[in-house]
Amino acid sequence: MNSATTRRPADDHAEAAAETRIVVANQWQLIWWKFRKHRLAMFAGLVTLLLYAVALFAEFIAPYAAGTYSATHTFLPPQNIQLFQQTDAGWRFYPHVYGHKVQVDPESFKRTYVVDEEITYPVGLFVRGEEYELWGLFTLDLHLIGAAQYGDPVHLIGTDRLGRDVLSRAIYGTRVSMSVGLVGVGLSLVLGIILGGISGYYGGLIDNLIQRVIEILRSLPTIPLWMGLSAAIPLTWPPVRVYFAITVLLSLIGWTALAREVRGRFLSLKTEDFVIAARLDGVRELQIILRHMVPSMTSHIIASVTLAIPGMILAETALSFLGIGLRPPVVSWGVLLQEAQNVRSIATAPWLLFPGLAVVVSVLAMNFLGDGLRDAADPYQT
Amino acid sequence: MIWYIARRIIYLIPTLLIISVIAFAVIQLPPGDFLASLISKAEETVDQAQVDALRERYGLDEPIYVQYWKWISGIITRGDFGDSFEWNRPVSDLIWERLGLTMVISLFTLAFVWIVAIPIGIYSAVKKYTIGDYLVTIIGFIGLAIPNFLLALVLMYIAFRYFGQSVGGLFSPEYIEADWSLERALDLLSHLWLPVIILGTAGTAALIRVMRANLLDELSKLYVDAARARGLSELKLLFKYPVRVALNPLVSAMAWVFPALVSGSAITSIVLNLQTTGPLLYRSLQAQDMYLAGSLILLVSVLTIIGTLISDILLAWIDPRIQLQ
Amino acid sequence: MQPTHTRLDAATDEALLEVKDVKTHFFTDEGIVKAVEGVNLSLKRGQTLCVVGESGCGKSVTARSILRIVPPPGEIVSGEILFRQRDGSAIDLAKLNPKGREIREIRGGEISMIFQEPMSSLSPVHTIGSQIMEAILLHLPVTKQEARKRAVSMLDLVGIPRPSETLDAYSFELSGGMRQRAMIAIALACEPQLLIADEPTTALDVTTQANILDLIADLQQQSGMSVLFITHDLGVVAEIADEVIVMYLGRDVESGDVDAIFHDPKHPYTRALLQSIPRYDSRDNKRLYSIKGTVPHPFDRPTGCPFHPRCDDFIPEQCNRVDPQRIFLSGDHSVRCLLYPTAASHSPDEELAT
Repeated sequence: MNSATTRRPADDHAEAAAETRIVVANQWQLIWWKFRKHRLAMFAGLVTLLLYAVALFAEFIAPYAAGTYSATHTFLPPQNIQLFQQTDAGWRFYPHVYGHKVQVDPESFKRTYVVDEEITYPVGLFVRGEEYELWGLFTLDLHLIGAAQYGDPVHLIGTDRLGRDVLSRAIYGTRVSMSVGLVGVGLSLVLGIILGGISGYYGGLIDNLIQRVIEILRSLPTIPLWMGLSAAIPLTWPPVRVYFAITVLLSLIGWTALAREVRGRFLSLKTEDFVIAARLDGVRELQIILRHMVPSMTSHIIASVTLAIPGMILAETALSFLGIGLRPPVVSWGVLLQEAQNVRSIATAPWLLFPGLAVVVSVLAMNFLGDGLRDAADPYQT
Repeated sequence: MIWYIARRIIYLIPTLLIISVIAFAVIQLPPGDFLASLISKAEETVDQAQVDALRERYGLDEPIYVQYWKWISGIITRGDFGDSFEWNRPVSDLIWERLGLTMVISLFTLAFVWIVAIPIGIYSAVKKYTIGDYLVTIIGFIGLAIPNFLLALVLMYIAFRYFGQSVGGLFSPEYIEADWSLERALDLLSHLWLPVIILGTAGTAALIRVMRANLLDELSKLYVDAARARGLSELKLLFKYPVRVALNPLVSAMAWVFPALVSGSAITSIVLNLQTTGPLLYRSLQAQDMYLAGSLILLVSVLTIIGTLISDILLAWIDPRIQLQ
Repeated sequence: MQPTHTRLDAATDEALLEVKDVKTHFFTDEGIVKAVEGVNLSLKRGQTLCVVGESGCGKSVTARSILRIVPPPGEIVSGEILFRQRDGSAIDLAKLNPKGREIREIRGGEISMIFQEPMSSLSPVHTIGSQIMEAILLHLPVTKQEARKRAVSMLDLVGIPRPSETLDAYSFELSGGMRQRAMIAIALACEPQLLIADEPTTALDVTTQANILDLIADLQQQSGMSVLFITHDLGVVAEIADEVIVMYLGRDVESGDVDAIFHDPKHPYTRALLQSIPRYDSRDNKRLYSIKGTVPHPFDRPTGCPFHPRCDDFIPEQCNRVDPQRIFLSGDHSVRCLLYPTAASHSPDEELAT
């Protein structure tokens, strides 16, 4: 560097500018830059955000409350939105759905719906409908989408056997299903970080012990085990307690993957020069972990957390589907899919599988997001 | 090698112990004395002497560890898993065929997963960033995202709606109760494809990604260039070196793929009404038939652990580096 | 496909390998990396040619280009690589299909290569023997038993103790030096005419380095093969080279016989490299010289002479505009530098257009 005096000012200037750009970008900016290049993951991230927004504002977004039923409109098929209507004066913009006539088969007495194009129900955005309390704070009656005239039977995805709106229930289900994943992973993360951290940092006998436990837990067939444990949850428990019991059960087995990730990171960081340097400088152990090691593994942990949530969502759905997870009146995607448990009910009302689509979309989005995050987590690697 | 296997088997002992404790805990979890549920379920009045005999047999008046001991020693020494109250038969009468069928389905699925995932994974890695690779990746992700039971429902619906067939079950009606024969085995094979595909989808998708990632890692290694510099043709090179090395983690992946298959088969079997352990466990849990449920959880867990052990030994056999550790 | 046979120039009739203005580029998503941007070299039978330069100057890519094992997305975009086969005809390796039969017969049979890291250039799950025998069976008409015998004698030749036992050993059971010996045994098993050694001693400790260098020199004397030796260690060059090529940013900035390069270096970069060798006999307690700056990022290739931003003899308005051509000073001593104006350089406009 002693030859710097021979450098010409123009070059100096250019280099200084280039250097500032590199210095200013911290780790998170680099991760963001790298993540942004991953189009699919960006899109998946948007979908995930949207799903959580739906969960947060379920009352507003859903046209009906989760429990609203109509005895006269059971198993109503989905209605397609027609954007235009033909009148004598030509086509006009008039979003609406067609009504239905009920026909009863004279032999089998089976009720079938026939689309009746004579009857139209207008559909609109930001319509007035049932009253609800948003987060227990505000009483509102505004709905994002629904029948423009309060009381019209508008069911875009159809209704179930009690005449409840499938779309609304799926939207309410988002709240429970998406949050089970989040809470469950939160619990797993606490267990995973503590045990994985201890295992990776201290090594030796403790590490060996924890690794054995993880190995045992990983070699167990989780679903039969979950079935056994959740079947033991008393039927008399209130829904909230069942909800937490289920998430605890899911995370009791789900923490192992996170613990492995944390341990692996700790092991590789322990030998990094900056950690050794900190130790030689006499920094306290806790300080080393919190100030030096945790920040450099946070991005990886966020990525693995994102990848762990879909597993939780799938597990909750499966258990609730079987009737040994969450139970009505709680509304989750798995609970909703109970309605579609056998071929007969699906053959009658295939739209009851709609919550399944929600599961697939959310799991897909979070897998893509997690994959992109994992790639971006190490911005220095090309 | 023998020492390695012996060590792995010794490692199994604590695992088996923990599993038995968990299974016993499942038996004990439901509130109340299970004899009470037996009495409440029985249609005739139960003989008091019979109740006392059962109480004595399971040690119900004794501390919990004595009960555990009576239960586990009965299993180990006499193969006595207790009685199923719902079926009013010894548990061991009910489970073996279903356990066998669970194994058959899981093994067939495992074979299916490998046969499909390995070539596709190799293709995807060798043709990295081509349209084919992207297609495989996206299909793989979708396969991972669809819950088994949902796939089962959708396929059943399609078969019912468009082919007028009700699929499901493992046997045609005339073979369900029949004794084993060649015809029954063939009938089983003809029913097996649907559960195998349903169960295998997620595992295949996962293994394609593992295989692709492994192979991409290996393809950039120097020993591949070295073999190429020796004049080996591309195809021979690919299969002799990087594919061979990339298969090792795939064998160790069996340690988690197999439990996941057994696990997934529980729900799929319930939906498809297969005569495996899943529906039996489900029914026994609903009926609080706890000795049956506990035994099923114990045996299914033991099965998966044996599967894991086999994959460990297999890995040590194909990867010379393992035994050294 | 018919091989492209060409007559070599009369003046360099005895050259085994002649590389003419080869350019190898990597077509990445971010842009084109010009890893090799015009390299010339000529290697005579039985001689050793050393390629020197800093990391990232294209030494390894040059070597890989010769064997046509440049990894994708790299491609040879222009130039000729003429190799004289045993029957006397010359073949242009640059024109061959990199996956075709002809180049595969040359790889391992006529030209062999050993790599920088002996740890990772052997398969972790195959025995040493299976990898040597593979090379033998590919190129020589022998049975399996004969191949095995030959493999044992090769291991013996490269100085591996208990060769017949080592044959069934895995690479992780050998030390780094032994692995490199095994690699040499594989490379020389089919008696190639040319051995390309890509920094074969960099990853080894100093005593092992010396042993491996001696081994290569011995084997070269016995078989009369040529060696293309890639290194950044000028001490090694002084010890083994007949001819030297100095590379910078994919260019051969100076080449000539070893005496000319060491005692009469012309290019400022060559001089700088030589100045940065630590010497025991230096009288004054000066700081060790180091070349200022670093090798520029491949996307920011400087205009004009690629070395000008780091050059002490920078001529303003010249070096940053004019791309210096290769000029011959005496015999085969050539240099690319505007300090030596004997050769007519291209006009600035023409150069800037590229």
